[in-house]
Amino acid sequence: MEENKSVDLKIEIKELIIKTLNLTDVNPEQVSNSAPLFAKDNDMGIDSIDALEIIMALQRKYSIRIDDQNLARSVLDSINSIAEFVNKETTKN
Amino acid sequence: MSEITFNHKMAAHCESGSVTALLNHAGLEISEPMVFGISSGIFFGYLKGPRFAFPVFIVRSKPGQIRKNISKRLGVKYHTASFKNPQKGEDELDRLLEQNIPVAVQVDFYYMNYILSHERVHINAHFINIVGKKGTKYIVSDSYFPKLVEFDRESLMKGRFAEGSMAPKGFMFYPTYVPENIDYEKAIRTGIKKASYYMLKLPIPFLGIKGIRKFADSVVEWPKYARDIEHLSHEIMKINVLLEDQGTGGAGFRFIYATFLREASEMIGHSGLLEMSKRMMEIGDGWREISLFTAKIGKNRDLGQDRLKELGNIIRKRADVEEVFFRDLQNIIK
Repeated sequence: MEENKSVDLKIEIKELIIKTLNLTDVNPEQVSNSAPLFAKDNDMGIDSIDALEIIMALQRKYSIRIDDQNLARSVLDSINSIAEFVNKETTKN
Repeated sequence: MSEITFNHKMAAHCESGSVTALLNHAGLEISEPMVFGISSGIFFGYLKGPRFAFPVFIVRSKPGQIRKNISKRLGVKYHTASFKNPQKGEDELDRLLEQNIPVAVQVDFYYMNYILSHERVHINAHFINIVGKKGTKYIVSDSYFPKLVEFDRESLMKGRFAEGSMAPKGFMFYPTYVPENIDYEKAIRTGIKKASYYMLKLPIPFLGIKGIRKFADSVVEWPKYARDIEHLSHEIMKINVLLEDQGTGGAGFRFIYATFLREASEMIGHSGLLEMSKRMMEIGDGWREISLFTAKIGKNRDLGQDRLKELGNIIRKRADVEEVFFRDLQNIIK
């Protein structure tokens, strides 16, 4: 059950990122959960401006705030790390 | 050969991070936001003129003020030193490390070669803590780096004795006395009152809230300072960098100040400060909107007068909101 919730959350996050960055040619299935999001060979190919957009989109959707660039670097490392952070923060609230 | 047991932590900002780590090492448990808030680190200034090739803005008090104000308000005493002669600066650092004293040094960030090269720029007001020496390598605790790192002597010397604006001149400091009993309530109140005064009442037209308004009014004139569209785009995108990427803790120090207000509320039992903390978080969100806006229009070279007016208007809104905020903050802390 918990595992299904985690899978759903990761898909939801991928969809949110794809929508936020308007990546019309990327499907959630194409995006690896563990691959570094900032790597050049990642299908999303995001840059620092995209990162800021993702931070703000996550804040709007989940009412969570990533208010420090050191934290942002570690949270935005991969879909897994984003999901872990969202899960931790929303459970806390 | 010396290596001090030092609890390395990353921090939002180099100076408050360095001051906090040394205080923690000296046995004073205090957080970085608390150091930032008590020292009235939050600020705004819009600067242009012959000294600047292009207008710039600052979002914090000037380098050194965090340590100085912590000294005044918490009663911590520091030893500080600068050196004309680099050899003497090196000898003194080595002597202190031999005595197991960790030392903060001011450096040009560009020479900190353990940081990725594309992230390094020439800034003469970066602070790191030196916590040991192994052969010719120094053990560095840099709050922008995730762990302690061995750093070569030559690069450290280049960083400590770089030339130019705000040249470090080998500046170093370390705490020599930390009081056992600290009146935190008094320190918090003083820190807040001073920050509010600096934001609201400095009689200088480009500092504090007036500075945010000056920035808002002036940004439409930026094309006349730029060589071409590429230069203008670079400068507009730099707004994002200065707010988010230069060790500001996000949104030009507004988030770290919000955290200070929350911690202060808990420490002195003042519920009004918790409300102000929430409002400051929202103010930070507004600055982050500016970051994103400037990053986008800069990247897309969408820099016509209408767009710059739009930018001016959203910056002006920050001035209006912060003016009300600091008036309210001043009133509830009386």
